[in-house]
Formats: sequence, C-alpha cells, structure tokens
Amino acid sequence: MRPTRPLAPMVAAVLVLFLWWVVARNGGSGWVQVLGDIVFGALCIGILGPSLVLARTKVWVVDAPADCVAGRPVVLHLRCSTRLRVRPLVPPGDETFARPGNETGGTPVTLRPERRGVFDSVTLDIASAAPFGLQWWRRRVRVALPTPLHVAPRRGRPDAPSLRQSDEAGEVANRPHRSVGYPRGARPYRPGDNRRLMHWRATAHAGELMVRELERPMAQPLTVTVVLPADPEESERVAERALGTLALLFERGTEVLLATTETTGPVLAPVFDRRGAGRRLARAVARPGATPTVGAIEVTR
Amino acid sequence: MNIVGAVRQANRPGPPEDSIRLRVASGATVFVAIGACASVGELTRAQALGAVALIAVGMAFSYRTRSRPPGWVKVVVAVGAVAASVRFFHEVVTPGAGVTSVEGPLTVLMTEVLVLHSFHVPARRDLMFSIGASSALMAVAGAQAIDLRFGFYVVAWSALGLWALTEMWRAASGGGRASPVGLTAAFLAMATAAGAVFLVLPAPNVAAGAAFLAKEGLGGSIGVPGALAGDSGTPAQLARAGSPAGPSRVGGYLGFADSLNTALRGAFGNTLVMQVRAQRPSYWVGKTFDTWDGQNWTQVQPAHSTRRLNELSPIVLPVADGDIPLGQPDLQTFYIASFTADLVFHAESASELWFPRPNVFFSRDGTIVSPIGLGQGSVYTVESQVPSSSPDQLRTASGGIGLPVSVQQEDLQLPHPYPRVQALAESITARDHDTYDRMQSLISWIGRHTHYSLDIPPLPPGADTVDEFLFGNRIGFCEQISTSLTVMLRSLGVPAREAVGYVPGSYDPITDLYQVHADDAHAWVQVWFPGYGWQDFDPTDSVPSANPAPGSVALHDIAAALRHVPWFPLGGTAVFATLFLLVLWVRRTRPTTWAERVARYAERAGRRAGRRRRPSESLSEYARVLDRLTGNESTRWYPLASRVEENIYGHRECSPDVQRQMIRLAKGIRGSRRSFRHYAPNRAP
Repeated sequence: MRPTRPLAPMVAAVLVLFLWWVVARNGGSGWVQVLGDIVFGALCIGILGPSLVLARTKVWVVDAPADCVAGRPVVLHLRCSTRLRVRPLVPPGDETFARPGNETGGTPVTLRPERRGVFDSVTLDIASAAPFGLQWWRRRVRVALPTPLHVAPRRGRPDAPSLRQSDEAGEVANRPHRSVGYPRGARPYRPGDNRRLMHWRATAHAGELMVRELERPMAQPLTVTVVLPADPEESERVAERALGTLALLFERGTEVLLATTETTGPVLAPVFDRRGAGRRLARAVARPGATPTVGAIEVTR
Repeated sequence: MNIVGAVRQANRPGPPEDSIRLRVASGATVFVAIGACASVGELTRAQALGAVALIAVGMAFSYRTRSRPPGWVKVVVAVGAVAASVRFFHEVVTPGAGVTSVEGPLTVLMTEVLVLHSFHVPARRDLMFSIGASSALMAVAGAQAIDLRFGFYVVAWSALGLWALTEMWRAASGGGRASPVGLTAAFLAMATAAGAVFLVLPAPNVAAGAAFLAKEGLGGSIGVPGALAGDSGTPAQLARAGSPAGPSRVGGYLGFADSLNTALRGAFGNTLVMQVRAQRPSYWVGKTFDTWDGQNWTQVQPAHSTRRLNELSPIVLPVADGDIPLGQPDLQTFYIASFTADLVFHAESASELWFPRPNVFFSRDGTIVSPIGLGQGSVYTVESQVPSSSPDQLRTASGGIGLPVSVQQEDLQLPHPYPRVQALAESITARDHDTYDRMQSLISWIGRHTHYSLDIPPLPPGADTVDEFLFGNRIGFCEQISTSLTVMLRSLGVPAREAVGYVPGSYDPITDLYQVHADDAHAWVQVWFPGYGWQDFDPTDSVPSANPAPGSVALHDIAAALRHVPWFPLGGTAVFATLFLLVLWVRRTRPTTWAERVARYAERAGRRAGRRRRPSESLSEYARVLDRLTGNESTRWYPLASRVEENIYGHRECSPDVQRQMIRLAKGIRGSRRSFRHYAPNRAP
C-alpha cells in the first residue's frame, strides 16, 4: 500500500500547520490552537485515513465470464465494501469507480486482456481518498474469479495447408459435414442438439421434441499439433495462427484432434468448436526446451 | 521537465467541477469564516455583507463558466490581488496610519482575495483553495476571540468544512451517496486526533509580535488626571475610600483607592472583570501600600503626584524603587470585560506597556494609572520581568543593590510599637537564620493558627486590625491576614508592603485566557530581598508555579464535570433506552410469515453448524446441504424448504394448521442439538 504522489499534500499539510503554529505563537490565542488542532485532525484523517480504509477494504468478484478473446473487452462484476477507484492490472482493463451497494449485479469492470492465458484471479489496483479526497492511497489486490477466465488468442491467419486435394480425376469424395450423417432414427431432444436436426414429424407424433439421430460422420479427424516457442510474443502469434487454422477446419466441418503442451504435460484431445479450441490454446504453453522463436503448426491426418 | 514546464504543469487548468453541493459547501465555509471575522471586529458589518454577496455572485458565475472560464477573468483576479496586496503593505508600513496590529488589514486583504478568487473557481482544486483560505480567516478571527461564543463559529466552520471535504471525495469518486457510518467514523477519528493534539500541546505562548494589542474601550476621560477611578457607576468615576456605610468599590473591593480600610470587607460580585492572556499565572498587581496606621493602608506618595509618561507604544516604564528587573520576561494582554479601576494591572516588575493612549501615570512604587477609564473593550499589553528566584537564592540573598533609605523607612514603618506581635514573631522565627525562612515560618504559623472567613463583623472603630486578628479569634480575610504578616515582618526589621490586585483567576484551556472575576480581588505581601528586589508572598494561599497545560486543565475540568453527573438517573435512562431499542430491533427483525420463520430456523441451524447460507443459494439448495451435513434421516430440511418455496414462488397457500405444523417441525429440527453430530468442518461442501 502506498500513497499516490504524496509530496504535494504532505508539503501543503506541513506548511499549513507551520503557519498555524506561527499565528498561534504570535497571537497566543487558545482558539487558534483549537482551530489548528481541528485542521491538523482533518489533515491527518485526510492524508492517512485512506490507508486505513484500504487496509479494511474487501473486494470480490460476483460474476465473470469463463471465456474471452485477447484484445476484446470482457466485463466482470465486482463488489466492494467501500467506494474505490479500480484499475485492473492483470489482465489490464479500464479504470472505473466501484461503490458498495445492494444492486445485485455489482459494479461492471471492463478487462482488456492483451494475451491469451488462463486467469484464476485478477490483480486490481484499488485506490481510495476517503473520507476527504485530500490524498489518494493505492493497493494491489488479487481477487479470485468464480470460474477461471480463459483468454483465447486472437484469430490469426490460417497456417495449415489446404487439405483439399486436386480433383482433376474427379475421384475425391466430398466429406460430409460433421452434423450431417446417415439418419439412423429419432430420439427425444436433449439440450445442445443442433436445431437443424429437429424431426418435426416425429415431434408431432410423439408430442415432444424429437431429433434425428445420425450415424457417426464419415470424416476422419485431423490432428493439429501446435508447438509454441518460448518467446511470449512469438508464442502468441503462433497461437493466433493455430486458432485461425482450427477455425478454418471447423468451418469445413472437420473433426480435429488438437495436440498441445500444457503445464501438466502433453495433451491430445478432440476439440469441437472455437470455444473449446480457444480454451485449449489459452492453456497451452511452450514445451520444455522449446526454441525461443520458432513455433510450428502441423496438420496431419 | 524544465522549470517553465513544471510551472505550466502546475498551472494547468483542472477538469471543471460539476458538483453544486461542493460549491455550496465551500461557499458556506467561506461565509462562516467571514462572519467570524466580523464577530471579532476585524471586518465591519458592511464589509462582511458585501463580501458574502460578491462571493455568492462569483461562485454562481464560476459555475456557469466552469467549462470555458473567460481568460479576462483570470487577468482581473491577478491584477486585483496584486492591488490588494500593495494596499495592504502600504497600510501596514505607513507610519501614523493608526494600525495597531496587522490582523485587521490582513483580514481585509484575505477577504478581498477570496472575493476576487470566487469569480474564477472552475475546478475542484480552486474550491479547495477557498476552503484553505477560509481556514486562514478563521485563524485571524480566532487570534482575536476571547470568549467561548466564538465556539459557535468554530463548530459551524468545522461542520461545513467537513461537509465540503466529504463532498470533495464524493465528487472525486464519481458521485453517489456517502456512507453515514463512514462519515461518523471519519468525524470521530478527526475529533480524536484533534483532541489528542490539544491535550498534548502546551499553551501557545506569545513568542514574537510586531505590535501587541492595545485598544481603547468604553471608558471616558477622568476628571482628575492620575487620580484613581473606576468606582461603582462608570469607569471614569473617581474612587472613594471605603466606609461602613457604603462599601461600594470596583466589584465590591475596597483596595483600588487611595486607602485600604482593613476593618471592612466589600461585598464582592462574580462579574467577569477582565481576561488575561499570559505566559504564566501571576498575581496581577494594581498598586501597593506602604503606610500602616493600625486600620488603614495608604501610600506615602499619593497617586496624583505620579510622573506622567508621554510616549508612543511601547511605553518604556522606569524601574520602580526597589525593583531589580532580573526575572523572566512575561507578556500579558489584559482584555477588560466589564470595567475596573483605572489601574494598569500587570505581573510584578512591569518594563514595557502597549497602551491605547500615549500617556500614563507612573509612581515610584511601580503603580501605573491610566489617564482614561478602563471599560469594556479596553485592551492593553504589558511586558514584565517576573522574579524567578529560587528559595535557595532568596535564603542567601545579601548585598547587591540596596533599598533606598527613604523607601526602606517607609517599608519598615509601624504606627506604634507592637510588643506582642514582635514577641510572637520572634518566638515563631527563633530557629530561623535568614529572611526567607523567617517569612516561611510566619506563613506556616498563620496557616496553622488562623482561619479564613469573609463573614465576620467589621472591627470596632479605633481597634488595631493586627492585634484583633492575631490575639482575638484569629478569623479574618486576606487583607487582615496579609497585613498581619506585613506587620510581623516589619517588627522583625524586614522591609515589606501590602499589595492589592487580582489573583490569576481560572484558566480557560479553550481560549487560553485567565478569567478574572470581581471576587478574585486580593491582597498579599511583597517582601524585599537584597539583590532580588520585591518578591510576592501570599499567606492566604499559594500561587501555582507553572502555566498549566491546556490538556491537563481540560481533563481536570472533565473529571470535575463527571463527578457532578447524576449517574443513577442517567444509568436508568440508558438501560431503559437500550431495552426499548432492543425490543424495537426484535420487532423489526422478527419474521412476519411462517415461511420466513422456517427459513430463519434453517439458517440459524446452519450457522450453528458452521455453514452459513450463501447469497446465491436458494433455500432448497441450502436445505439439501444441511441434510447432507446431518446425515440423519429424521432431520430433513429439504421437504420444509420445498413447501416454503412453493408458498413463496408458487403462491400455494397452506392451511393454518399446516403452517403451524411446519413451524413446529422446523423448531424441532433446529432445537435438536445432535442434528449435526456427524458434521466436521473439513467435510463442509
């Protein structure tokens, strides 16, 4: 905890008290001393009070999303026990004033994460000049998030070679879309089912929502291996390209196995959508002994 | 950044301040400060009203133009401030301008600056300057304030200043409502800090000053120049000697006249006569008597034969006969509250005088007489060399500057032999070898063998006061006690004289003034020591030796006040009020519906088990947690919680019997001490 630019208020306070002392010494009046004591008390509380306020302040996040994309704003809601000026540091964000209150949502605070990553907490720079606004004090606090915030990389330029082969001979079969398969039957709707698969006739017959049940798609999954370099900037660029590649593959309806290295070790697991890919890439780290600048994205069948 | 850049940075206009409340609070703070200055006479009523009106207009103008303040306003403010400063310095340094103190012109200067500044306060820091400048005005007013009525201005200014500061914080933090708890805590903390400093700091002794206070009040000219005046009527009425028929002197005291009749005791009032600001308490001596006739004290050299000193302040006073100005300098300012004798009171050995008139009368015993009556509002300042010799020094006092023979004869004069008194004095001081010890033995003997009383009949005509007192019933008042000591000392060959004036009075820690009332009039003894001059001794009482700290006096006053507090009725009232508030609180927090009661029982049971309900938990979710904690089939919160939620959210009313049953069930589960016997905190979900 430290004061913000304390020199001017401190010098002003000392100067004011010195002048009061001079007046008291020249006038000898008890009232001057009484008034000087009041001014001294106000300056004391005005200059040192914010430190006590900050020391007792509690800040907690009441609502935060689980996913976001680097470079785009994400809003979390926090509550505090007293009025504060809040500036997110890690990840960075916009400065705002948070007030205690009974509103259910809490105070919105906008984060603007610049890089991918997974954040269990946010580091905030909280400041207060309570109760008199004479001197600002600031303090850094780490506030746990209700759920980890996955910051996916930006979507970069796709890096993967086109897997569509030359079809001069007309022998390359068009792979069906993942959500398109060979109908096998109908089953009751479950949350998350594609709405395009609704079977309206069966729904009318059964009296509840029914969806088509398809056989497994015919497409074989592709394996995208992302090797991140050690350099953070370069690593970010590689992750962005990897996301671009994965997004392209998803748009083509390709099943994808993503191979990355996380803090727990190598991970090879399917990813089904951009959100899942973003989360995996957010967690990805450079493998031990990785080259500083050269990363790689390999797409293999 | 170079200096020019730094100055530009400092002078960069701040963001416009939109808070009207902050402006109102700042303006009100300034208004109160101006009112305080007017209340102590530093500003005339017209000046104060004009300043308040102009500042109100200026504040409104500043608010309207806060976004784009016109450039010419800043120029006008700067030029006006320079002109006001030039006028101030011209007024202060010009000789013969009649300026007795710098406070008045300074107040006018600061008020002018505030008026000008009010037209250019677009930003928050400009408003802060206004608040700071108002504190300077309050300081100037406080330096002139001499009574507790000024406290109203202090309280109002402090309250408005606090309001302005809290508004400043609100404006800085984006608005919203301030927390009453926080404000109360801040106020209490501020009061504690201020009180602690007040209790710790010593009194603000006057250490330096260009021109000390001297002001003419309600008095009037005295008919006979140099004569003693200030009798009961007006300050200018000549003093008459006391008589059994009409003991009507200043405040009822008979001593401030040409003679002091010790057979009579005046009827004292409790009127506040004057207030004294001094670095240490002293006896404020008015005059001395050297000639004793058995019942009356008189002065060989009458007051009207005194020398007239014609000088501008400060008037340098000649050294009185027998005085040796070797003590510590002490500055005293006397504020006359009602009216008193035309004697210029002072601590012993006055050396300089700041007086509203250039001429005073000075007699060789050190008595100073004013040429005008000293009525309400009169102020004068005296510098004295207060004797600071220690008992050991006085014991070894010998040689040095001697007392002139004629003066010595006057101060050893006795109207007739006092054989019994002399024998008594010699028997009391038989074991003492020096004057100081002899005198202390005599004072000690008087303290042990005599009694003080104001309620005694006048002595019969012709009776000797000392014989009647020492060999009669030994009951008397200060004049008789001090006269007895004087005569005993003179019978032993020690030069001594009677002094009259006032005791220091009660010390007010807030105003730092000694409050001298009419019944503080007193008589004591001055004893001459070779090499040290006249020393005050009071056989009636002792004088405190040091200036009391305001803090200790305040604590003492508080303790004395607490002793008089009627604790029993107050305690009873407090207990009753607490019970009343408790009942109110219980009634207010008591659940009003059966559903609330069930929910309350569940939460209470959870709290007892160490698992509070989270804000995000519904009652049924919480009930599931409680059921998991208990692990006991007989205690099931969930069904109860479901019924409660059905009632609240599904509007399914239960019959009164079912409601009662629910409450009974909930009560039973809550009351089961063994409900959570399986619970361990580390297994909390």
